[in-house]
Amino acid sequence: MGEESVLMRRRRARAAQQLAPAGAPRPAILLGSVAVIATCGLLYELIAGTLASYLLGDSVTQFSTVIGVYLFSMGVGSWLSRYLGGPLLRWFIRLEILVGLVGGASAPLLFGLFAHVGSFRVLLYGLVGLLGALVGLEIPLLLRILQGRLAFKELVARVFTFDYVGSLLAAVIFPLVLVPRLGLVRTALLFGALNVVVAGVSLLGFDETRPYRRRYLALIILALLALGVGVVGAERIQRYAEGEVFQDTVIYAQSTPYQRLVLTGNHRGELRLFLNGNLQFSSADEYRYHEALVHPAMQDRPRAHRILVLGGGDGLAVRELLKYPQVQHIRLVDLDPAMTRLFRSNQLLRELNHNSLLSSKVEVHNTDAYAWIRQDTARYDVVLVDFPDPGNYSIGKLYTTAFYQTLRQRLRPGGLVVVQATSPYVARRAYWCVVHTLAASGFSAVPYHAYVPSFGEWGYVLAQAAPGTWRPDGGPLPAGLRFATPQVINEMRRFPPDMSEVPTDINQLNNQALVRYFEEEWGPYGQ
Amino acid sequence: MSIPRRQFIAQASAGLAGTLLAGLVSSVPGCTPAHSAVRGQLRGAGHALGHRLRDLRTIPTPSRTEEVDILIIGGGISGLAARRELQRLAPGRPTLLLELEADTGGNSASGHNARTAYPWGAHYLPIPDVRDTAVLAFLQEAGVLTGYGPAPARLPIYDETALCHDPAERLLLHGHWQAGLVPEVGVPPADRAELARFLAAMERLRHATGPDGRDLFALPLAWSSSDLATRQLDAETMADWLTRHGYHSEYLRWYLDYSYRDDFGVPAAQISAWAGLHYFAARKGRAHNAPPDAVLTWPQGNHFLANALRQQGGPGQVRANTLVFGLKAATDGRVEVLAFDNATQQSTRLLARQVVLATPWHVTKHLLPNPPLLAPLHAPWLVANLTVAAYPGGAGQPLCWDNVRYGSPALGYIDAEHQALRGFETDGPQSLTFYWALPTDAADPVAARRHALASTYDQWLTLVLTELDLMHPGLAAQVQAAELWVWGHGMVAPTPGYVWGPARQQAAQPQLGGRVHLAHTDLSGVSIFEEAFHQGIRAARAVLAEPRAS
Repeated sequence: MGEESVLMRRRRARAAQQLAPAGAPRPAILLGSVAVIATCGLLYELIAGTLASYLLGDSVTQFSTVIGVYLFSMGVGSWLSRYLGGPLLRWFIRLEILVGLVGGASAPLLFGLFAHVGSFRVLLYGLVGLLGALVGLEIPLLLRILQGRLAFKELVARVFTFDYVGSLLAAVIFPLVLVPRLGLVRTALLFGALNVVVAGVSLLGFDETRPYRRRYLALIILALLALGVGVVGAERIQRYAEGEVFQDTVIYAQSTPYQRLVLTGNHRGELRLFLNGNLQFSSADEYRYHEALVHPAMQDRPRAHRILVLGGGDGLAVRELLKYPQVQHIRLVDLDPAMTRLFRSNQLLRELNHNSLLSSKVEVHNTDAYAWIRQDTARYDVVLVDFPDPGNYSIGKLYTTAFYQTLRQRLRPGGLVVVQATSPYVARRAYWCVVHTLAASGFSAVPYHAYVPSFGEWGYVLAQAAPGTWRPDGGPLPAGLRFATPQVINEMRRFPPDMSEVPTDINQLNNQALVRYFEEEWGPYGQ
Repeated sequence: MSIPRRQFIAQASAGLAGTLLAGLVSSVPGCTPAHSAVRGQLRGAGHALGHRLRDLRTIPTPSRTEEVDILIIGGGISGLAARRELQRLAPGRPTLLLELEADTGGNSASGHNARTAYPWGAHYLPIPDVRDTAVLAFLQEAGVLTGYGPAPARLPIYDETALCHDPAERLLLHGHWQAGLVPEVGVPPADRAELARFLAAMERLRHATGPDGRDLFALPLAWSSSDLATRQLDAETMADWLTRHGYHSEYLRWYLDYSYRDDFGVPAAQISAWAGLHYFAARKGRAHNAPPDAVLTWPQGNHFLANALRQQGGPGQVRANTLVFGLKAATDGRVEVLAFDNATQQSTRLLARQVVLATPWHVTKHLLPNPPLLAPLHAPWLVANLTVAAYPGGAGQPLCWDNVRYGSPALGYIDAEHQALRGFETDGPQSLTFYWALPTDAADPVAARRHALASTYDQWLTLVLTELDLMHPGLAAQVQAAELWVWGHGMVAPTPGYVWGPARQQAAQPQLGGRVHLAHTDLSGVSIFEEAFHQGIRAARAVLAEPRAS
């Protein structure tokens, strides 16, 4: 991490402001503490910077702003130290407990609240500022405690030596040991506990703490317990996190009654959503997938204004649909309320879907799509079917003639359906099975595909209720698309020989041919 | 290999009535799952009300008289089919149907829990023979058959949602769940060859016709060829036939016993060879959109079909909770029927011009003044509907509609939510319907029944949970609720001589001067839907063939 050298220089500059008279009761304990608190202080800064770059992307900006806010807050803390009077050791013990709790809780709080707070940046910088101010109090306070016990030149020399040694230690073990072995959450909790231990050692090492020793010992034990509970809880948040299943850092994970949602981030600012371990999208190239899903159909039906989206609780297909001013009403049916809630509330994800799920044109229903289309009485111009891949017999039911025949009754005259249909390159028979099943259900099926780097070659089927022709020049495309143009859409219909049509069975409830094809073809890929 | 097989059969059938539960449970030492937390109750086919037939003094004398044109006694498939046929052919003639239970359906009863309906008995219908136009017309009216495919075959197209969804069946064999119920995985080549030889022989029999041009084996069985050599197979047991034809494979014998217990309640040793072959050779269903071995099924089982029959039976009244306790010729040539309404605790004297008596034989023989001699064997059955907190997985094939353990004395379970139309798997509770045809001894069927009816909820539950734990270790602890139903009389078993012996033919004759027409699968010897359906049609047509009395 190139940012660390910047950090060290800033740190050294800050230290120059903190010269103060010397003197202390048991210098050895306190000087040892300096090394520990210096390590902890730098780690909190690194954790916050890393976390911000995972969650918010753009690591240079995130590190720079987090460090700036942190150092500025340390300055504020140093200045505030002058208002602390009375028994200084007692202040120091209080401070260490507080730093331990706030620093230890920082990473779990940021991860845990990421999905639930409206403005994540306020939380992030608020926490970084508070932590910076607390850490800024530490060295001035220690200098004042040690003042008079050591000669000034000794005091300054020793305190800052230990301070820098601690910082170096932190800077080295953070990327090499802590992140790969423990992860951010457990690292924060562990070093929070070290701060609390410093409080404990100071409490027991000095006679003057006797009057309040009992009360503070209880406090310290409680604080350690709280951090310990955090470590246990962190197991749950971060079970998948440590590079075993996902190559990036898990920034959000939730098990719902229907699936496991995992959101990961990396230092390139790339967000990925996994459902049950399968990649749902990458923020780097999802626009390709969603433009290919939406625009061929919308271009073909320029007057379409009532749309049904089945699946797609991330709101990304809806984002594309909302680019057409004539679209008046979009009904999104996604099984999992946790999914739509996440994409409606989280700031980063809302930035990704352009607040599409908050649009007044959009109506969200959290129910099973099969159950929905069986009881629905409305009719639609366009239906987008964006289900998970047919990897088990339950989802396989959503790709059968029985399902498509029911779905056909939900279309207006001249309406059409677009179905995402796995990869025609990897799962050639599975893809053409979907095409043939739509054709057997009375649709006029037009196969097409697009290249999405995260997924590879991806297949779709445009299925028209009445026989018709594909009109790649049907209507205008909205401005600002990054992938779909009339020429590109026209090209999507061409299948090279390695993905061209193969004979398949029709997928029915009583044969589940598609699930079998899908398993056979994706099996070697470990999906 | 036949020796251990026979020992098993001997153990399973000989004298088990007394030691049934103890024997089955103690065969699994140290494996009695705790179940104090399981909710549920034990029910049974109205035997408390039904058994009042044995002591008529407890029933009040009729307080009023009612006149009816056609009275149907019994609301199982036969009675409902008779009612529907009468509505079709003579819509102007009012019918009244009396049913002992709270709902019609007979063995096709169903229940439901918070998540799903589930069957209490018969729960599927193999796609029928295309020549059985009466059943096809009924299914079309019920919306199950949606049309016909292109000429020349013009095969029926079935509603895909009613066809048993894939995957249909799995078998736990050698610790692994294999797809399909015919043992395959880890089965020695000699046994596989014997299984293949048997199934090929059955396939040939499916297409075989007799000198009279009729199929050797047909459904309804009355349509079968009268070829003497074939009918003589009714005299020997299926087990003897198998031995005579060199079928000794333990795997084959298990598969056949499983199949026969599933349809008849008893194994190959207790049914006639004619019935054992009929089981495999009479199914000739074909469909445009399904393979010949496809079955139709619904979450509520065949209660779906029973309700469709009832609905198609017109406006004629149906009275449930009603016990018929007397039946005799009235002086004016009509039939006097005495019925007790369990809700009002009142009895009524009904004067009917014609009667369809669609009750099982153990009821019929109490009602008729001079009942013909007929002694059908009925095994007692246990059906258990379990709510289980965890998914019943296991190595190999995932959860199917029908899930069976090789070598088990039980029949396995079906997933009651298998036909649900939804696209997700849930972690939520599963609803499993266990079937268990209890061993019964033809020499003393009463003992097995009496013991079955005397056993307590906890005893049954222990039995079911023990079996569940053998299929899915640890799952028994996840059972939240268990609703149990014990059928004292399950389905009729086609014992040797029953189907083509003289007693059955005579018992089917009209009674009381041609005014009482019997309809029940006990009169067929094979308790399956088509048989009951045609019993009803036959009785209805016989009613209409009689001159109308004043």
